[in-house]
Amino acid sequence: MKNYQPTPFREPVVEHPKSAEALSGITSGTLPVDTLNKIAEVDGVKAVAAGISLMVEEPDPENPNTGVSMGPPPTIMGMDTKSDFVNKNWTSLNMKEGKLIDKNTPDNEITIGYSIALDKKLKTGDTMTIRGRDFKVIGVLEKTMTGPDSYVMMQMTPARELFVASNPFLKSLKEKADKAASISDAELAKLSPDSRAQILQAKSFKMEDVSTSASVSWKDDYDSDVVAKNIKDKLNQEVSVLSPKKMGEEIDKASAMINSIILGSAMLALIVGLFSIVNTMVMSISERTKEIGIKKALGASNKAIAWEYTLEAGIIGLLGGAIGAGFGTLTTTLVNAKMAEKGAEIFLIEPSFIIQVLVFSFVIGVIAGVIPAIRASKMQVVQALREL
Amino acid sequence: MEKIIVKGTDLKKSYKMSKTNTIKALNGVNIEVKEGDFTAIIGPSGCGKSTLMHILGLLARPDEGSLEIDGEDFSKLNERKAYKVRAQKIGFIFQGFNLIPTLTAIENVVLAGRYGGMKVGERKKRAEELLELVGLKDRMNHKPNELSGGQQQRVAIARALMNNPSIILADEPTGELDTKTSLEVMNILKKLNKDNNQTFLIVTHNLDVAKECKSIIKLKDGKNDK
Repeated sequence: MKNYQPTPFREPVVEHPKSAEALSGITSGTLPVDTLNKIAEVDGVKAVAAGISLMVEEPDPENPNTGVSMGPPPTIMGMDTKSDFVNKNWTSLNMKEGKLIDKNTPDNEITIGYSIALDKKLKTGDTMTIRGRDFKVIGVLEKTMTGPDSYVMMQMTPARELFVASNPFLKSLKEKADKAASISDAELAKLSPDSRAQILQAKSFKMEDVSTSASVSWKDDYDSDVVAKNIKDKLNQEVSVLSPKKMGEEIDKASAMINSIILGSAMLALIVGLFSIVNTMVMSISERTKEIGIKKALGASNKAIAWEYTLEAGIIGLLGGAIGAGFGTLTTTLVNAKMAEKGAEIFLIEPSFIIQVLVFSFVIGVIAGVIPAIRASKMQVVQALREL
Repeated sequence: MEKIIVKGTDLKKSYKMSKTNTIKALNGVNIEVKEGDFTAIIGPSGCGKSTLMHILGLLARPDEGSLEIDGEDFSKLNERKAYKVRAQKIGFIFQGFNLIPTLTAIENVVLAGRYGGMKVGERKKRAEELLELVGLKDRMNHKPNELSGGQQQRVAIARALMNNPSIILADEPTGELDTKTSLEVMNILKKLNKDNNQTFLIVTHNLDVAKECKSIIKLKDGKNDK
């Protein structure tokens, strides 16, 4: 069963040291354009794409639990579609309907994840209101059971605007900058040096500087860990860098417990199943000793007998697997239907997985049946025929 | 000159029951069966009839002596090679019918064709012909438990004929049948012998059955009883 499978991060992710907190809109941790340009110059870096992450729902101080559901929270992902950066994860995402945003997509159009569409009952062409602003849904992603299910993907400009609007500090900076912009150079010259310096500082605020994270793709022949280290060294303490390897380790750590429980249960089921088939086959063969004797008297070779009974065990395994897969699919469908009411489906069963289950069940049956079948094939005909 | 199908010379076979107890089942039996023979092997219980049958049917090997089937010596034949000879040259009819209970009449007959290396297309056709020959055309798709004893034995006869064997070995073929049904089964065997020149070797302790045969071989204490 393909349930929770973390998105394989292939690009080092660069963040402002405080931007992890910025995700929840607490601080102003941003990555200015200058920093991104510096990263782009680091040895081994191929392209840099700025990014904005922001919760879709505005936190409600009165009731902090509002909107809490299964899975990751709905997140706005501002995407730098104009960058040369190629995100291997996103380009490989399948669409349930519509299309993924690209560099030609207008600012008011978005692509949404499967869970968001399910939760808000949205489809392509609908309008989604995010933090008071209307967006047109141009595509819905196929179910991934990972992060992208809860993503709202939009261009950087609207994402930045929403981010700035959500952050009181950045909001006031922006307002000051807007006011400062309306002051002409002639008026500025008339002001006191202190006020002038303040206004000049406010003027220096640029929306392009607002990014909470950046993804970096590296040149061929370069190791992602080395590139991550190069960025860290060059920009020293200015940014925190997560290499794909480190990210994988973090995810592994988080999912180790769940994985070991799932693996343990699966192993237990496998061992019990294996012995059940062995037991069934041993019993079945001992009950059919005479039948084997008859077949051998009729001219069945040892190989033919071994093959027949091994195949039978394989078919028992296959039937068991098919019944199990049937019940499993039914159960997950019911659980998913129930969980869909809360906004997130838990299980994803792919057709290829069902095929794998059936093949695996057959193989397990064959493995369990081969020894009893070989024993059957070596039975002495005369003794076997004497059996009642 | 008639062709010799089976020739056993000085066949000996003993079974070790314990460290000190060995039973001599066959103690120098000579037997010759020619093409078209309809021979009965009779003798009291424990005289070695079934052991002789197993040796002639390549289900067991003699300790001593030689066994030729269609002129080929099989007395030292390895079990790994015996199945082919069994499938192609020998047909078996058992006392307890020995049909596979989960298969229908026709499937039981087809099974013998499969082990005999018959082509898939031919198997069903021949099985149908044989079941018709033994008078079971309308019972082909019935399972053994849906057939009477006589009908089951007729299925077994059809099965024995499937690979056109050189000889059919019948071990007490009427042992579990009433007099009337026994007669019916014997009549079928006799007809096959007469019409198709099919060779039969029938092990029986029933003298009425033996009387229906063209010749009789008597056994006593693991030897030929003159």
